[in-house]
Amino acid sequence: MKLMKTHIYAYHEGHGNIVDFGGWAMPVWYEGIIAEHHAVRNGVGIFDTSHMGRAMAKGPDVEKFVNWVVTNDVSRLEPTQGLYALFLRPNAGIVDDLITYNMGDDEFFIVYNAANRKKDFDWLKENSGGFDVELTDVSDVMAMIAVQGPGAVETLQKITEEDVSEVERFSIAKITISGLKCMAARTGYTGEDGFEVFVLDSPVEDPWKALKVWDALVEAGAVPCGLGARDSLRMEAGLNLYGSDIGETTNPLEARLRWAVKFKKEGGFIGIEALRKAREDGIKRSQVGIQMVGRGLPRAHYEILDGEGEKVLGEVTSGGFAPTLGYGIAIGYVPVEYRKVGTPVMIRIRKRLVEGKIVKSHPFYDDSVYGWKRVRT
Amino acid sequence: MSEEYNIPEGLLYTEEHEWARLESDGTVTVGVTDYAQKQLHDIVYVELPGVGDDAELMSVIGALESVKAVSDMNCPVGGSVTEVNEELLDSPEFINESPYGEGWIAKLKPSDWEGDKVHLMDAGAYGKHVAEAAH
Repeated sequence: MKLMKTHIYAYHEGHGNIVDFGGWAMPVWYEGIIAEHHAVRNGVGIFDTSHMGRAMAKGPDVEKFVNWVVTNDVSRLEPTQGLYALFLRPNAGIVDDLITYNMGDDEFFIVYNAANRKKDFDWLKENSGGFDVELTDVSDVMAMIAVQGPGAVETLQKITEEDVSEVERFSIAKITISGLKCMAARTGYTGEDGFEVFVLDSPVEDPWKALKVWDALVEAGAVPCGLGARDSLRMEAGLNLYGSDIGETTNPLEARLRWAVKFKKEGGFIGIEALRKAREDGIKRSQVGIQMVGRGLPRAHYEILDGEGEKVLGEVTSGGFAPTLGYGIAIGYVPVEYRKVGTPVMIRIRKRLVEGKIVKSHPFYDDSVYGWKRVRT
Repeated sequence: MSEEYNIPEGLLYTEEHEWARLESDGTVTVGVTDYAQKQLHDIVYVELPGVGDDAELMSVIGALESVKAVSDMNCPVGGSVTEVNEELLDSPEFINESPYGEGWIAKLKPSDWEGDKVHLMDAGAYGKHVAEAAH
């Protein structure tokens, strides 16, 4: 199968180690995962995220429509404000996680996972019946570059006219980079301060604007980072990866995403009845963070056992080496009676059982030392 | 990206990118090749065999882990493990920095070196194998 290419592919081809990422030709690293990871935690890095899905919804019913298809409450968003939410099946399984922004003038912008581009857009269409709203898949007509790290504001400011420090967390603003129209949203997938920059009117067939913005960021001192560092950074921040940590067979309560669900909002949302029932019945399992105590690295699908190594509790959904922390960490699911911080567990790593423990994992690191909170005191 | 790989003469190689070197005392030192370490990149954890473990030709005796991936270490020679490079537990980056030197993984007392040798490649043959794998 021919791999799909993003707007920034010409750069990746010349500088990166390219892998097949769900059908996309994407860089796993340029200079090395660990160096790129540290660049973002301690400075600033950029990621090509143009493979992600992006849709515009417009029309008189747009707020009602978006509120019906997501779990969070968008009626409280002023224009330029955004929030994290989930799309659910009627059975409360997770279709995807997303960020949506109120763009003003009866328009909402929705950003979701690369692997779910078609599924999500089809699902939005299917559920738009009865609403006066028009949906447009804009994934291919704009590029998306994440600028992440404690140095993100300073770096982006070097190449923009507008004051980007004024953009509030989870808000989106129109900015100009090298004379090109962009939008910058103060969010990301690394736990750090930073932006997701959307390069407008940049079709994937003729991506010179996107490449120009990428090059300007590199010249301003941002370190190009691949998907390897993106994964280790998001894991340290305790952020879910759709398809691994959350999916069609997990509900938001098990995944500790209750905060992104507003049961009381007007009109409800798709999946509310099933989720209410799950809440009343009580969940049986919960997502947890695990820190390795013994030597070894946990990986997806490794078994999690109790502290005695006798009973299988569940499995790791994401795991690996945490470069900032210097040890192995994992996200996984266990029965609720084992979810308390400090509970000892064992991970089966090949033939061995290696000691670990349940830890605070949103984020795994000390957020007074790393992450966006340290920047904005 | 095209890369050059260091493939020293005098060592024998497996298709899975391990190397074996016969030492003057009759033991065989084993490790992974320059190509293997460049493929893995940034090795962050090494699982070593135990001293005294018995290994068969191409049996799994350990594992190398990068941030992203796990790779089995196959034993290029049958025999019993006499020594392991414990330095790697604290400094797995030795494999990246010096795959044929400080990054050696284990030493074995071979059970049938002459028999095992025929299954391995010399530097020339291995170089061709790598050139094909890199395509």
